[in-house]
Amino acid sequence: MSFAALLITIIPSIILGFILAFSHFRGRWIVINLVQTLQSIPTVVIGLLVYLLLTRNGALGDLKWLFTQKGMILGQMLICAPVLIALSQAAFSSVDRRAWETSRTLGASWLRAVWTLCRELRVPLLLAIIAGFSRILTEVGCSMMVGGNIMDVTRNIPTAIALETSKGDFAQAIALGLVLLILALVLNFILGSLRGKALPRSH
Amino acid sequence: MMISDTLQKQQTVQISAHNLQMKFKQNTLFNVPELTFKQGDVIYLQGDNGSGKSTLMKILAGLMTPTQGQVISQGFAPKSWWQPDNLFGKAVYLHQHPYLFEGTVKYNLTYALSQLKIPVSERNDRITQAVNMAQLGDLLNHNASDLSGGERQRLAIARAWIIQPKLLMLDEPISNMDKQSQRLVLEMINQLKQDGTGLLLSSHQTCGLTALCQQHWHIKQRTIHTSMHVPAAETVHQTNTTELHYGTTD
Repeated sequence: MSFAALLITIIPSIILGFILAFSHFRGRWIVINLVQTLQSIPTVVIGLLVYLLLTRNGALGDLKWLFTQKGMILGQMLICAPVLIALSQAAFSSVDRRAWETSRTLGASWLRAVWTLCRELRVPLLLAIIAGFSRILTEVGCSMMVGGNIMDVTRNIPTAIALETSKGDFAQAIALGLVLLILALVLNFILGSLRGKALPRSH
Repeated sequence: MMISDTLQKQQTVQISAHNLQMKFKQNTLFNVPELTFKQGDVIYLQGDNGSGKSTLMKILAGLMTPTQGQVISQGFAPKSWWQPDNLFGKAVYLHQHPYLFEGTVKYNLTYALSQLKIPVSERNDRITQAVNMAQLGDLLNHNASDLSGGERQRLAIARAWIIQPKLLMLDEPISNMDKQSQRLVLEMINQLKQDGTGLLLSSHQTCGLTALCQQHWHIKQRTIHTSMHVPAAETVHQTNTTELHYGTTD
């Protein structure tokens, strides 16, 4: 489920990051600043927001997504989007102008040039993805509120740990905590090893 | 009539600029009423540092938009209907310090090849030729970031040569290079000239490079003077010795 949220969010977020880095419009700095500020919005507040949106009288109430996995995915998307957008914008603004110019002047299409840029920037972009994924994995507030921690439906490891702890069943909570920890570490390690050797370049 | 027209267009391609003006903030870099760069031309572009040599090249390559005026290309094969018609890929621009993509030398060399619709045999021929010309044979599987300055420049020229552009602009191609690399790059440029590629070369030192050129563009006093007379290598040499002379009296 966290993967689904991440996968849905990655491409639009990176595109938004790209647009923010390369287009010049009035109030661009405000948008960038806003996105960067949104990175620190507490997940519980996002949970509240999504809850209010999805509740029966809310703007998206007709979808009947409250206390469903779809609702949780929506919340997680909102949680990782600012991180992904802000970090990919930072990545794209750090790129060497000549990479774009070289690609275009050699006759590459716009799309291929964008792809080339992403390839050149795979390390910072992967870091953005890792950061977004970490933020999803570590949050409990939004999942709890929007999902409702319903067994076998919307219960995930973080909400289960919270429940077991409040029940006093620490053994179960610790076991689940270890599972989550190992899962997170292994996934981040795999993502991290995709980076390869990222050495500073002189040119 | 129509057929001969198109045939003629296919034979010589050109990029022309009209009433070009380039400004940075309030400062005018240059004003150019008329400028034409066509296939078969070998032009020496001269100008002081900051006079706008690179800017002019980038404008002709479509990488920069001039403050005023227009740049028109003629005689190029039309692009597919879904591709916007722009200047990219027509007059290929090579940076003074070339940018090499992350990856092997081979990846860089063949970067532009994959978008050309040419048979595999020709593709392989071109790769072999380019490798021989730039003498990069031993380095093909090396990481491009490990190359020396001269090797980077050779790879960049070979990367452009391989798509056989009709017009090519080289920004200071042999500056900061040892004799051996200079010789190789000069040979490559000479080869491009033999192939009938239109060349626009900018340089400040040049002896061997100017000798190849047939036309001279000089950016001076915010405009570009064009002439068919290329200053002889001695004049350039002279300025060098004066500089040296000043250097020793200091």
